[in-house]
Amino acid sequence: MGLLQDIQAEIEKRSLSGGGWTASNGGRAGVETTCYGLMALDADQETARKKAIDLLLRLQNPDGSWPAFEGDDSQGCWTTALAAIALRFVSSPLEPPARAARWLLTHKGREGHWLWKWKFRTLDRAVQFNPDKYGWSWFPGTVSWVIPTAFSLIAIKQSLSYSENNRATDRIRIGTEMLRDRACPQGGWNAGNAVVFGSALGPHIDTTAIALLALTEPGDGTAAHALKSIRDAVTDCSSAYSLAWSAVAFCLHRDPVVHRCMDHLRRVIAGADGVSNMESLSLAAIAIKTAEGMGNPFEV
Amino acid sequence: MNRRDWLIASAATAGSALTTGRLRRPKYARDLRPKRSRIAVLHSDEYSGKLDELVYQGLQLFGLDVRGKSVLLKPNIVEYIPGRPINTDTQLIGAAAEAFLRLDAASVIVAEGPGHHRDTDLLLHETGLGDQLKQRKVRFVDLNRDELIKTKLQANYSGLEHLWLPRSVTASDFIVSMPKVKTHHWACVTLSMKNMFGIVPGNRYGWPKNVLHWAGIHESILDICATVRPDFVIADAIVAMGGDGPLNGAPKILRTLLIADDPVAADGYLAGLLNIHPSDINHIREGAKFIGNHRYVTL
Repeated sequence: MGLLQDIQAEIEKRSLSGGGWTASNGGRAGVETTCYGLMALDADQETARKKAIDLLLRLQNPDGSWPAFEGDDSQGCWTTALAAIALRFVSSPLEPPARAARWLLTHKGREGHWLWKWKFRTLDRAVQFNPDKYGWSWFPGTVSWVIPTAFSLIAIKQSLSYSENNRATDRIRIGTEMLRDRACPQGGWNAGNAVVFGSALGPHIDTTAIALLALTEPGDGTAAHALKSIRDAVTDCSSAYSLAWSAVAFCLHRDPVVHRCMDHLRRVIAGADGVSNMESLSLAAIAIKTAEGMGNPFEV
Repeated sequence: MNRRDWLIASAATAGSALTTGRLRRPKYARDLRPKRSRIAVLHSDEYSGKLDELVYQGLQLFGLDVRGKSVLLKPNIVEYIPGRPINTDTQLIGAAAEAFLRLDAASVIVAEGPGHHRDTDLLLHETGLGDQLKQRKVRFVDLNRDELIKTKLQANYSGLEHLWLPRSVTASDFIVSMPKVKTHHWACVTLSMKNMFGIVPGNRYGWPKNVLHWAGIHESILDICATVRPDFVIADAIVAMGGDGPLNGAPKILRTLLIADDPVAADGYLAGLLNIHPSDINHIREGAKFIGNHRYVTL
Protein backbone atom coordinates (compact mmCIF):
# COMPACT_ATOMS: atom_id res chain seq x y z
CA MET A 1 0.00 0.00 0.00
CA GLY A 2 1.04 3.60 -0.52
CA LEU A 3 1.57 6.14 2.21
CA LEU A 4 -1.93 7.62 1.84
CA GLN A 5 -3.58 4.22 2.07
CA ASP A 6 -1.48 3.31 5.12
CA ILE A 7 -2.52 6.48 6.91
CA GLN A 8 -6.15 6.04 5.94
CA ALA A 9 -6.11 2.44 7.20
CA GLU A 10 -4.72 3.67 10.52
CA ILE A 11 -7.39 6.37 10.76
CA GLU A 12 -10.10 3.83 9.96
CA LYS A 13 -8.73 1.53 12.66
CA ARG A 14 -8.91 4.31 15.26
CA SER A 15 -12.57 5.10 14.58
CA LEU A 16 -14.48 5.05 17.87
CA SER A 17 -17.29 2.56 18.32
CA GLY A 18 -19.81 5.40 18.56
CA GLY A 19 -18.30 7.09 15.51
CA GLY A 20 -15.71 9.82 15.03
CA TRP A 21 -12.26 10.19 16.50
CA THR A 22 -10.51 11.55 19.56
CA ALA A 23 -7.12 13.20 19.90
CA SER A 24 -6.70 11.73 23.38
CA ASN A 25 -6.77 8.24 24.86
CA GLY A 26 -10.37 8.71 25.95
CA GLY A 27 -13.52 7.37 24.39
CA ARG A 28 -15.33 10.63 23.60
CA ALA A 29 -15.09 11.99 20.08
CA GLY A 30 -13.79 15.51 19.50
CA VAL A 31 -15.52 17.54 16.80
CA GLU A 32 -12.29 19.00 15.41
CA THR A 33 -10.54 15.61 15.32
CA THR A 34 -13.60 13.98 13.75
CA CYS A 35 -13.77 16.61 11.02
CA TYR A 36 -10.14 15.99 10.01
CA GLY A 37 -10.62 12.19 10.14
CA LEU A 38 -13.70 12.47 7.97
CA MET A 39 -11.98 14.67 5.39
CA ALA A 40 -9.02 12.26 5.29
CA LEU A 41 -10.94 9.12 4.34
CA ASP A 42 -12.13 8.07 0.89
CA ALA A 43 -15.67 7.19 -0.03
CA ASP A 44 -14.91 3.46 0.00
CA GLN A 45 -14.06 3.59 3.71
CA GLU A 46 -17.75 3.63 4.15
CA THR A 47 -18.30 2.37 7.70
CA ALA A 48 -15.98 4.79 9.49
CA ARG A 49 -17.14 7.66 7.29
CA LYS A 50 -20.82 6.98 7.82
CA LYS A 51 -20.39 6.65 11.58
CA ALA A 52 -18.48 9.94 11.68
CA ILE A 53 -21.13 11.74 9.62
CA ASP A 54 -23.88 10.35 11.84
CA LEU A 55 -21.98 11.47 14.92
CA LEU A 56 -21.56 15.02 13.61
CA LEU A 57 -25.22 15.23 12.67
CA ARG A 58 -26.17 13.91 16.09
CA LEU A 59 -23.94 16.43 17.90
CA GLN A 60 -25.26 19.50 16.10
CA ASN A 61 -27.07 21.76 18.57
CA PRO A 62 -30.67 22.84 17.86
CA ASP A 63 -29.40 26.36 17.06
CA GLY A 64 -27.17 25.01 14.26
CA SER A 65 -23.86 25.20 16.15
CA TRP A 66 -21.54 22.42 17.26
CA PRO A 67 -19.93 21.86 20.68
CA ALA A 68 -16.22 21.07 21.06
CA PHE A 69 -16.69 17.37 21.78
CA GLU A 70 -19.20 14.64 22.47
CA GLY A 71 -20.74 15.26 25.92
CA ASP A 72 -19.74 18.93 26.02
CA ASP A 73 -22.12 21.65 27.22
CA SER A 74 -24.56 22.60 24.51
CA GLN A 75 -23.05 26.03 23.88
CA GLY A 76 -21.77 26.20 20.30
CA CYS A 77 -18.22 27.17 19.41
CA TRP A 78 -15.65 27.56 16.64
CA THR A 79 -15.90 23.91 15.58
CA THR A 80 -19.22 24.87 13.98
CA ALA A 81 -17.39 26.24 10.93
CA LEU A 82 -15.14 23.19 10.66
CA ALA A 83 -18.06 20.76 10.93
CA ALA A 84 -19.90 22.64 8.20
CA ILE A 85 -16.82 22.45 5.95
CA ALA A 86 -16.34 18.72 6.63
CA LEU A 87 -19.98 17.79 6.05
CA ARG A 88 -20.13 19.76 2.84
CA PHE A 89 -16.92 18.08 1.62
CA VAL A 90 -18.37 14.61 2.09
CA SER A 91 -21.63 15.62 0.44
CA SER A 92 -23.90 14.99 3.38
CA PRO A 93 -27.31 16.75 3.40
CA LEU A 94 -27.02 20.51 2.84
CA GLU A 95 -29.34 21.59 5.64
CA PRO A 96 -26.94 21.09 8.61
CA PRO A 97 -24.13 23.22 7.08
CA ALA A 98 -26.72 25.83 6.10
CA ARG A 99 -27.96 26.02 9.69
CA ALA A 100 -24.35 26.27 10.83
CA ALA A 101 -23.76 29.19 8.47
CA ARG A 102 -26.82 30.97 9.85
CA TRP A 103 -25.49 30.48 13.39
CA LEU A 104 -22.11 31.85 12.34
CA LEU A 105 -23.77 34.95 10.91
CA THR A 106 -25.38 35.69 14.27
CA HIS A 107 -22.06 35.50 16.13
CA LYS A 108 -19.12 37.84 16.15
CA GLY A 109 -16.07 38.61 18.22
CA ARG A 110 -16.84 40.70 21.28
CA GLU A 111 -15.03 43.72 19.84
CA GLY A 112 -17.83 43.86 17.25
CA HIS A 113 -20.08 45.38 19.93
CA TRP A 114 -19.98 49.18 20.20
CA LEU A 115 -19.12 49.15 23.92
CA TRP A 116 -16.08 46.93 23.56
CA LYS A 117 -15.11 48.66 20.33
CA TRP A 118 -14.96 51.88 22.34
CA LYS A 119 -12.97 50.17 25.13
CA PHE A 120 -10.39 48.77 22.70
CA ARG A 121 -10.13 52.08 20.90
CA THR A 122 -9.65 54.21 24.02
CA LEU A 123 -8.78 52.36 27.23
CA ASP A 124 -7.23 49.06 26.22
CA ARG A 125 -4.56 49.57 23.59
CA ALA A 126 -2.12 46.89 24.78
CA VAL A 127 -2.78 44.68 21.78
CA GLN A 128 -2.67 46.71 18.60
CA PHE A 129 -5.68 45.98 16.42
CA ASN A 130 -8.56 47.76 14.77
CA PRO A 131 -11.79 46.80 16.58
CA ASP A 132 -13.87 47.85 13.56
CA LYS A 133 -12.47 44.78 11.86
CA TYR A 134 -13.85 41.79 13.67
CA GLY A 135 -14.35 38.15 12.89
CA TRP A 136 -15.20 35.11 15.01
CA SER A 137 -14.12 33.90 18.43
CA TRP A 138 -13.21 30.44 19.69
CA PHE A 139 -16.18 30.65 22.06
CA PRO A 140 -19.06 33.13 22.28
CA GLY A 141 -18.41 36.08 24.54
CA THR A 142 -14.73 36.51 23.68
CA VAL A 143 -12.87 38.46 21.00
CA SER A 144 -12.03 37.38 17.45
CA TRP A 145 -9.02 35.23 16.69
CA VAL A 146 -7.37 34.23 13.44
CA ILE A 147 -8.19 30.50 13.17
CA PRO A 148 -11.90 30.67 14.03
CA THR A 149 -12.25 33.62 11.67
CA ALA A 150 -10.52 31.81 8.80
CA PHE A 151 -12.67 28.67 9.17
CA SER A 152 -15.85 30.73 9.54
CA LEU A 153 -15.08 32.73 6.38
CA ILE A 154 -14.57 29.50 4.42
CA ALA A 155 -17.74 27.90 5.78
CA ILE A 156 -19.85 30.97 5.00
CA LYS A 157 -18.35 31.40 1.51
CA GLN A 158 -19.02 27.74 0.78
CA SER A 159 -22.65 28.14 1.83
CA LEU A 160 -23.29 31.51 0.16
CA SER A 161 -25.82 30.12 -2.28
CA TYR A 162 -28.13 29.10 0.52
CA SER A 163 -27.44 31.68 3.23
CA GLU A 164 -28.52 35.26 3.71
CA ASN A 165 -26.45 36.87 0.97
CA ASN A 166 -26.23 40.54 1.97
CA ARG A 167 -25.42 39.84 5.57
CA ALA A 168 -22.97 37.13 4.57
CA THR A 169 -21.20 39.41 2.10
CA ASP A 170 -20.79 42.04 4.79
CA ARG A 171 -19.39 39.61 7.33
CA ILE A 172 -17.02 38.14 4.73
CA ARG A 173 -15.71 41.61 3.96
CA ILE A 174 -15.21 42.60 7.61
CA GLY A 175 -13.77 39.20 8.55
CA THR A 176 -11.30 39.35 5.66
CA GLU A 177 -10.25 42.83 6.75
CA MET A 178 -9.81 41.51 10.29
CA LEU A 179 -7.38 38.85 9.05
CA ARG A 180 -5.39 41.46 7.16
CA ASP A 181 -5.39 43.74 10.21
CA ARG A 182 -4.06 41.00 12.51
CA ALA A 183 -1.18 39.91 10.23
CA CYS A 184 2.28 40.01 11.79
CA PRO A 185 4.55 42.80 10.54
CA GLN A 186 6.99 40.18 9.22
CA GLY A 187 4.19 38.35 7.36
CA GLY A 188 1.93 35.51 8.42
CA TRP A 189 -0.16 35.13 11.54
CA ASN A 190 -0.02 33.94 15.11
CA ALA A 191 -3.14 33.46 17.25
CA GLY A 192 -4.06 37.07 16.57
CA ASN A 193 -1.68 39.20 18.61
CA ALA A 194 0.56 40.78 16.00
CA VAL A 195 1.81 43.67 18.13
CA VAL A 196 1.55 43.68 21.93
CA PHE A 197 2.73 46.58 24.08
CA GLY A 198 4.54 47.93 21.04
CA SER A 199 6.48 44.73 20.35
CA ALA A 200 5.93 42.73 17.18
CA LEU A 201 5.34 39.02 17.73
CA GLY A 202 6.22 36.38 15.16
CA PRO A 203 3.94 34.16 13.07
CA HIS A 204 3.11 30.47 13.53
CA ILE A 205 3.27 28.18 10.50
CA ASP A 206 -0.03 26.38 11.07
CA THR A 207 -2.03 29.53 11.81
CA THR A 208 -0.53 31.26 8.77
CA ALA A 209 -1.47 28.33 6.55
CA ILE A 210 -5.04 28.22 7.89
CA ALA A 211 -5.49 31.98 7.42
CA LEU A 212 -4.19 31.61 3.85
CA LEU A 213 -7.01 29.15 3.12
CA ALA A 214 -9.44 32.03 3.65
CA LEU A 215 -7.49 34.67 1.73
CA THR A 216 -7.44 33.39 -1.83
CA GLU A 217 -8.27 36.54 -3.82
CA PRO A 218 -5.66 37.03 -6.54
CA GLY A 219 -3.27 39.91 -5.85
CA ASP A 220 -3.82 39.97 -2.08
CA GLY A 221 -0.64 41.55 -0.72
CA THR A 222 -1.12 40.23 2.82
CA ALA A 223 -1.48 36.69 1.51
CA ALA A 224 1.59 37.06 -0.71
CA HIS A 225 3.63 38.29 2.27
CA ALA A 226 2.37 35.37 4.38
CA LEU A 227 3.13 32.81 1.69
CA LYS A 228 6.69 34.09 1.55
CA SER A 229 7.03 33.71 5.34
CA ILE A 230 5.95 30.04 5.37
CA ARG A 231 7.88 29.13 2.22
CA ASP A 232 11.05 29.71 4.25
CA ALA A 233 9.70 28.32 7.52
CA VAL A 234 8.65 24.91 6.20
CA THR A 235 12.19 24.07 5.08
CA ASP A 236 13.29 23.36 8.66
CA CYS A 237 9.93 22.37 10.08
CA SER A 238 9.83 19.02 11.85
CA SER A 239 6.11 18.89 12.50
CA ALA A 240 3.73 16.93 10.27
CA TYR A 241 0.87 19.08 11.60
CA SER A 242 2.34 22.38 10.37
CA LEU A 243 3.70 20.87 7.16
CA ALA A 244 0.32 19.39 6.27
CA TRP A 245 -1.53 22.67 6.78
CA SER A 246 1.13 24.45 4.73
CA ALA A 247 0.82 21.95 1.87
CA VAL A 248 -2.96 22.44 1.73
CA ALA A 249 -2.47 26.23 1.65
CA PHE A 250 0.24 26.03 -1.02
CA CYS A 251 -2.06 23.86 -3.16
CA LEU A 252 -4.89 26.35 -2.86
CA HIS A 253 -2.57 29.21 -3.82
CA ARG A 254 -0.99 27.10 -6.61
CA ASP A 255 2.42 27.75 -5.10
CA PRO A 256 5.10 25.44 -6.56
CA VAL A 257 6.72 25.11 -3.12
CA VAL A 258 4.00 22.53 -2.45
CA HIS A 259 6.18 19.81 -4.03
CA ARG A 260 9.09 20.49 -1.68
CA CYS A 261 6.70 20.74 1.25
CA MET A 262 5.05 17.40 0.40
CA ASP A 263 8.43 15.66 0.04
CA HIS A 264 9.36 16.98 3.46
CA LEU A 265 6.03 15.90 4.96
CA ARG A 266 6.46 12.37 3.58
CA ARG A 267 9.96 12.20 5.08
CA VAL A 268 8.71 13.32 8.50
CA ILE A 269 5.91 10.74 8.47
CA ALA A 270 8.22 7.94 7.39
CA GLY A 271 10.98 9.09 9.79
CA ALA A 272 12.26 7.28 12.85
CA ASP A 273 9.83 8.98 15.21
CA GLY A 274 6.87 8.63 12.87
CA VAL A 275 3.64 10.46 13.58
CA SER A 276 1.12 9.04 15.97
CA ASN A 277 -1.30 11.78 16.85
CA MET A 278 -4.64 11.51 15.16
CA GLU A 279 -4.94 15.10 13.99
CA SER A 280 -1.52 15.16 12.34
CA LEU A 281 -2.19 11.83 10.61
CA SER A 282 -5.53 13.05 9.27
CA LEU A 283 -4.09 16.35 8.12
CA ALA A 284 -1.24 14.51 6.37
CA ALA A 285 -3.80 12.42 4.48
CA ILE A 286 -5.78 15.57 3.59
CA ALA A 287 -2.56 17.19 2.31
CA ILE A 288 -1.65 14.17 0.18
CA LYS A 289 -5.16 13.98 -1.28
CA THR A 290 -5.15 17.71 -1.99
CA ALA A 291 -1.73 17.60 -3.64
CA GLU A 292 -2.81 14.64 -5.78
CA GLY A 293 -5.91 16.48 -6.98
CA MET A 294 -8.40 14.41 -5.01
CA GLY A 295 -10.21 17.51 -3.69
CA ASN A 296 -9.46 20.29 -1.24
CA PRO A 297 -12.07 20.56 1.54
CA PHE A 298 -11.26 24.23 2.08
CA GLU A 299 -11.73 25.32 -1.52
CA VAL A 300 -14.59 27.74 -2.06
CA MET B 1 -44.26 53.51 63.68
CA ASN B 2 -47.36 52.01 62.11
CA ARG B 3 -47.64 48.43 60.86
CA ARG B 4 -46.77 49.39 57.27
CA ASP B 5 -43.61 51.27 58.33
CA TRP B 6 -42.63 48.40 60.54
CA LEU B 7 -42.99 45.92 57.66
CA ILE B 8 -40.92 48.12 55.34
CA ALA B 9 -38.22 48.58 57.98
CA SER B 10 -38.13 44.85 58.66
CA ALA B 11 -37.85 44.04 54.96
CA ALA B 12 -35.04 46.58 54.52
CA THR B 13 -33.14 45.17 57.50
CA ALA B 14 -33.54 41.61 56.25
CA GLY B 15 -32.44 42.61 52.71
CA SER B 16 -29.45 44.46 54.06
CA ALA B 17 -28.46 41.49 56.25
CA LEU B 18 -28.79 39.16 53.27
CA THR B 19 -26.63 41.39 51.08
CA THR B 20 -24.00 41.82 53.79
CA GLY B 21 -24.04 38.07 54.40
CA ARG B 22 -23.48 37.41 50.73
CA LEU B 23 -20.64 39.91 50.60
CA ARG B 24 -19.04 38.42 53.71
CA ARG B 25 -19.45 34.82 52.58
CA PRO B 26 -16.07 33.48 51.52
CA LYS B 27 -15.63 32.99 47.80
CA TYR B 28 -13.89 29.68 48.34
CA ALA B 29 -15.26 26.30 49.37
CA ARG B 30 -12.34 25.03 51.43
CA ASP B 31 -9.39 26.43 53.31
CA LEU B 32 -6.45 24.61 51.76
CA ARG B 33 -3.69 26.25 53.77
CA PRO B 34 -1.30 23.81 55.37
CA LYS B 35 -0.24 24.21 58.99
CA ARG B 36 3.24 25.18 57.90
CA SER B 37 4.84 25.97 54.58
CA ARG B 38 8.40 25.31 53.56
CA ILE B 39 10.67 26.57 50.83
CA ALA B 40 14.22 25.69 49.84
CA VAL B 41 16.35 28.17 47.91
CA LEU B 42 18.99 26.38 45.85
CA HIS B 43 21.61 27.88 43.59
CA SER B 44 22.82 26.92 40.17
CA ASP B 45 24.92 28.96 37.76
CA GLU B 46 23.73 27.12 34.69
CA TYR B 47 21.46 24.51 33.20
CA SER B 48 23.46 21.32 33.11
CA GLY B 49 23.46 17.65 34.04
CA LYS B 50 24.26 18.73 37.62
CA LEU B 51 20.61 19.69 38.04
CA ASP B 52 19.68 16.01 38.36
CA GLU B 53 21.47 15.75 41.68
CA LEU B 54 20.56 19.25 42.84
CA VAL B 55 16.83 18.68 42.35
CA TYR B 56 16.97 15.25 43.97
CA GLN B 57 18.76 16.65 47.01
CA GLY B 58 16.28 19.53 47.12
CA LEU B 59 13.33 17.15 47.20
CA GLN B 60 14.95 15.13 49.97
CA LEU B 61 14.96 18.22 52.18
CA PHE B 62 11.16 17.96 52.25
CA GLY B 63 11.03 14.28 53.14
CA LEU B 64 8.45 13.78 50.40
CA ASP B 65 6.66 10.48 50.21
CA VAL B 66 5.54 9.99 46.61
CA ARG B 67 5.95 6.21 46.59
CA GLY B 68 3.29 4.64 44.41
CA LYS B 69 1.85 8.01 43.42
CA SER B 70 1.22 9.34 39.92
CA VAL B 71 3.15 12.59 39.58
CA LEU B 72 2.30 15.27 37.03
CA LEU B 73 4.91 17.91 36.27
CA LYS B 74 3.39 21.06 34.83
CA PRO B 75 6.12 23.20 33.25
CA ASN B 76 5.60 26.56 31.57
CA ILE B 77 5.95 26.01 27.80
CA VAL B 78 4.46 28.90 25.88
CA GLU B 79 6.30 29.89 22.77
CA TYR B 80 9.76 29.48 21.29
CA ILE B 81 11.74 32.62 20.50
CA PRO B 82 15.49 31.96 20.27
CA GLY B 83 17.48 33.64 23.04
CA ARG B 84 14.43 34.50 25.17
CA PRO B 85 13.98 32.72 28.53
CA ILE B 86 10.26 32.16 28.04
CA ASN B 87 9.92 28.50 28.99
CA THR B 88 10.89 26.37 31.95
CA ASP B 89 14.30 24.96 31.07
CA THR B 90 14.05 21.48 29.58
CA GLN B 91 17.06 20.14 31.49
CA LEU B 92 15.36 21.16 34.73
CA ILE B 93 12.11 19.45 33.69
CA GLY B 94 14.05 16.27 32.90
CA ALA B 95 15.90 16.48 36.21
CA ALA B 96 12.63 16.83 38.13
CA ALA B 97 11.12 13.83 36.34
CA GLU B 98 14.21 11.78 37.17
CA ALA B 99 14.15 12.87 40.81
CA PHE B 100 10.52 11.82 41.34
CA LEU B 101 11.22 8.46 39.71
CA ARG B 102 14.17 8.02 42.09
CA LEU B 103 11.74 8.69 44.93
CA ASP B 104 9.69 5.72 43.67
CA ALA B 105 6.77 7.57 42.15
CA ALA B 106 4.57 5.07 40.34
CA SER B 107 4.60 7.25 37.23
CA VAL B 108 5.78 10.67 36.15
CA ILE B 109 4.31 12.57 33.24
CA VAL B 110 5.08 16.03 31.93
CA ALA B 111 1.90 17.82 30.89
CA GLU B 112 1.21 21.24 29.41
CA GLY B 113 -1.40 22.96 27.28
CA PRO B 114 0.44 25.79 25.52
CA GLY B 115 -1.69 28.91 25.42
CA HIS B 116 -0.88 30.36 22.01
CA HIS B 117 0.65 27.59 19.97
CA ARG B 118 -1.63 24.89 18.57
CA ASP B 119 1.24 22.86 17.15
CA THR B 120 2.49 21.30 20.38
CA ASP B 121 4.76 18.82 18.54
CA LEU B 122 6.60 21.69 16.90
CA LEU B 123 6.95 23.51 20.21
CA LEU B 124 8.34 20.38 21.87
CA HIS B 125 10.87 20.05 19.07
CA GLU B 126 11.90 23.70 19.04
CA THR B 127 12.33 23.95 22.80
CA GLY B 128 14.18 20.63 22.98
CA LEU B 129 11.70 19.24 25.50
CA GLY B 130 10.71 16.42 23.15
CA ASP B 131 14.29 15.12 22.96
CA GLN B 132 14.85 15.62 26.68
CA LEU B 133 11.82 13.50 27.58
CA LYS B 134 12.57 10.89 24.94
CA GLN B 135 16.06 10.36 26.35
CA ARG B 136 14.63 9.94 29.83
CA LYS B 137 11.67 7.84 28.63
CA VAL B 138 9.17 10.23 30.21
CA ARG B 139 5.76 10.69 28.58
CA PHE B 140 4.39 14.08 27.57
CA VAL B 141 0.66 14.79 27.63
CA ASP B 142 -0.77 17.61 25.52
CA LEU B 143 -3.36 19.06 27.90
CA ASN B 144 -4.93 20.99 25.04
CA ARG B 145 -6.14 17.71 23.56
CA ASP B 146 -6.64 15.42 26.55
CA GLU B 147 -9.93 13.80 27.54
CA LEU B 148 -11.95 16.29 29.59
CA ILE B 149 -13.85 16.01 32.85
CA LYS B 150 -16.43 18.60 33.88
CA THR B 151 -15.13 19.95 37.17
CA LYS B 152 -16.91 22.19 39.65
CA LEU B 153 -14.67 25.06 40.68
CA GLN B 154 -13.86 25.23 44.38
CA ALA B 155 -13.89 29.01 44.46
CA ASN B 156 -16.04 31.60 42.81
CA TYR B 157 -13.94 34.61 41.89
CA SER B 158 -14.37 34.30 38.11
CA GLY B 159 -18.05 33.40 38.00
CA LEU B 160 -17.23 30.48 35.70
CA GLU B 161 -18.63 27.90 38.17
CA HIS B 162 -17.09 24.95 36.36
CA LEU B 163 -14.32 24.15 33.91
CA TRP B 164 -13.66 21.17 31.69
CA LEU B 165 -10.27 19.94 32.89
CA PRO B 166 -7.96 17.25 31.47
CA ARG B 167 -8.33 13.77 32.91
CA SER B 168 -4.53 13.53 33.25
CA VAL B 169 -4.70 16.42 35.72
CA THR B 170 -7.76 15.35 37.68
CA ALA B 171 -6.48 11.78 37.96
CA SER B 172 -2.97 12.67 39.17
CA ASP B 173 -2.02 12.12 42.80
CA PHE B 174 0.67 14.77 43.02
CA ILE B 175 0.90 17.93 40.92
CA VAL B 176 4.08 19.92 40.64
CA SER B 177 3.93 23.42 39.19
CA MET B 178 7.20 24.25 37.43
CA PRO B 179 7.03 27.89 36.33
CA LYS B 180 9.61 29.92 34.53
CA VAL B 181 9.89 32.94 36.78
CA LYS B 182 8.75 35.90 34.69
CA THR B 183 7.03 39.22 34.70
CA HIS B 184 3.71 39.30 32.89
CA HIS B 185 1.87 42.29 31.41
CA TRP B 186 -1.57 41.32 32.58
CA ALA B 187 -1.03 39.00 35.55
CA CYS B 188 1.98 41.00 36.81
CA VAL B 189 3.96 37.75 37.20
CA THR B 190 4.01 34.19 35.93
CA LEU B 191 4.84 32.08 38.95
CA SER B 192 3.53 28.76 40.25
CA MET B 193 -0.13 29.84 40.51
CA LYS B 194 -0.36 31.61 37.14
CA ASN B 195 1.41 28.62 35.59
CA MET B 196 -1.72 26.56 36.32
CA PHE B 197 -3.52 28.43 33.51
CA GLY B 198 -1.85 25.86 31.28
CA ILE B 199 -4.02 23.02 32.55
CA VAL B 200 -7.09 24.64 30.97
CA PRO B 201 -7.56 22.90 27.63
CA GLY B 202 -7.34 24.77 24.33
CA ASN B 203 -9.70 22.41 22.54
CA ARG B 204 -12.46 23.58 24.90
CA TYR B 205 -11.42 27.17 25.60
CA GLY B 206 -9.36 28.20 22.56
CA TRP B 207 -5.86 29.45 21.84
CA PRO B 208 -5.35 31.67 23.79
CA LYS B 209 -7.72 30.71 26.60
CA ASN B 210 -9.56 33.95 26.14
CA VAL B 211 -12.54 32.89 28.27
CA LEU B 212 -10.27 33.15 31.31
CA HIS B 213 -9.08 36.63 30.33
CA TRP B 214 -12.66 37.88 30.13
CA ALA B 215 -13.52 36.22 33.43
CA GLY B 216 -10.51 37.99 35.00
CA ILE B 217 -6.95 36.69 35.05
CA HIS B 218 -6.41 36.91 38.82
CA GLU B 219 -9.92 35.60 39.47
CA SER B 220 -9.39 32.64 37.14
CA ILE B 221 -6.02 31.84 38.70
CA LEU B 222 -7.66 31.71 42.13
CA ASP B 223 -10.50 29.47 40.94
CA ILE B 224 -8.14 27.11 39.13
CA CYS B 225 -5.72 26.84 42.07
CA ALA B 226 -8.59 26.35 44.52
CA THR B 227 -9.71 23.41 42.39
CA VAL B 228 -6.36 21.94 41.39
CA ARG B 229 -3.97 23.19 44.03
CA PRO B 230 -0.35 22.45 43.12
CA ASP B 231 1.05 20.08 45.75
CA PHE B 232 4.57 21.22 45.11
CA VAL B 233 6.59 23.86 43.29
CA ILE B 234 9.92 23.67 41.45
CA ALA B 235 10.51 27.11 40.00
CA ASP B 236 13.07 28.00 37.38
CA ALA B 237 14.71 31.30 38.36
CA ILE B 238 18.20 30.30 37.25
CA VAL B 239 17.65 32.60 34.29
CA ALA B 240 14.35 34.42 34.84
CA MET B 241 12.67 37.04 32.68
CA GLY B 242 12.24 40.67 33.65
CA GLY B 243 10.77 43.69 31.88
CA ASP B 244 8.45 43.11 28.94
CA GLY B 245 7.28 39.60 29.89
CA PRO B 246 5.99 37.02 29.32
CA LEU B 247 7.46 36.87 25.79
CA ASN B 248 9.57 39.92 25.08
CA GLY B 249 11.37 40.50 28.37
CA ALA B 250 15.08 40.39 28.97
CA PRO B 251 16.97 37.58 30.73
CA LYS B 252 17.35 38.21 34.44
CA ILE B 253 20.08 36.01 35.84
CA LEU B 254 19.11 34.99 39.38
CA ARG B 255 20.90 31.61 39.63
CA THR B 256 18.04 30.41 41.81
CA LEU B 257 16.05 27.21 41.89
CA LEU B 258 13.16 27.46 44.30
CA ILE B 259 11.50 24.37 45.72
CA ALA B 260 8.41 24.69 47.91
CA ASP B 261 5.47 22.76 49.28
CA ASP B 262 3.13 25.75 49.11
CA PRO B 263 2.37 27.76 45.95
CA VAL B 264 1.51 30.96 47.81
CA ALA B 265 4.71 30.85 49.86
CA ALA B 266 6.69 30.10 46.70
CA ASP B 267 5.11 32.92 44.72
CA GLY B 268 5.58 35.36 47.57
CA TYR B 269 9.29 34.61 47.67
CA LEU B 270 9.67 34.64 43.87
CA ALA B 271 7.79 37.93 43.46
CA GLY B 272 10.40 39.43 45.77
CA LEU B 273 13.14 38.21 43.43
CA LEU B 274 11.45 40.23 40.68
CA ASN B 275 11.36 43.25 43.01
CA ILE B 276 7.57 43.11 43.31
CA HIS B 277 5.85 43.07 46.67
CA PRO B 278 3.62 39.96 46.89
CA SER B 279 0.72 41.93 48.34
CA ASP B 280 0.68 44.02 45.15
CA ILE B 281 -0.32 40.92 43.21
CA ASN B 282 -4.03 40.22 43.59
CA HIS B 283 -3.96 36.46 43.23
CA ILE B 284 -1.11 36.05 45.73
CA ARG B 285 -2.72 38.39 48.24
CA GLU B 286 -6.12 36.69 47.97
CA GLY B 287 -4.58 33.21 47.68
CA ALA B 288 -3.02 33.70 51.11
CA LYS B 289 -6.55 33.60 52.54
CA PHE B 290 -7.19 29.99 51.52
CA ILE B 291 -4.70 28.44 49.10
CA GLY B 292 -1.45 28.79 51.00
CA ASN B 293 0.54 30.82 53.47
CA HIS B 294 2.52 34.03 53.18
CA ARG B 295 4.73 32.80 56.00
CA TYR B 296 7.14 30.00 55.44
CA VAL B 297 10.12 28.20 56.88
CA THR B 298 13.27 28.18 54.78
CA LEU B 299 14.95 24.77 54.78
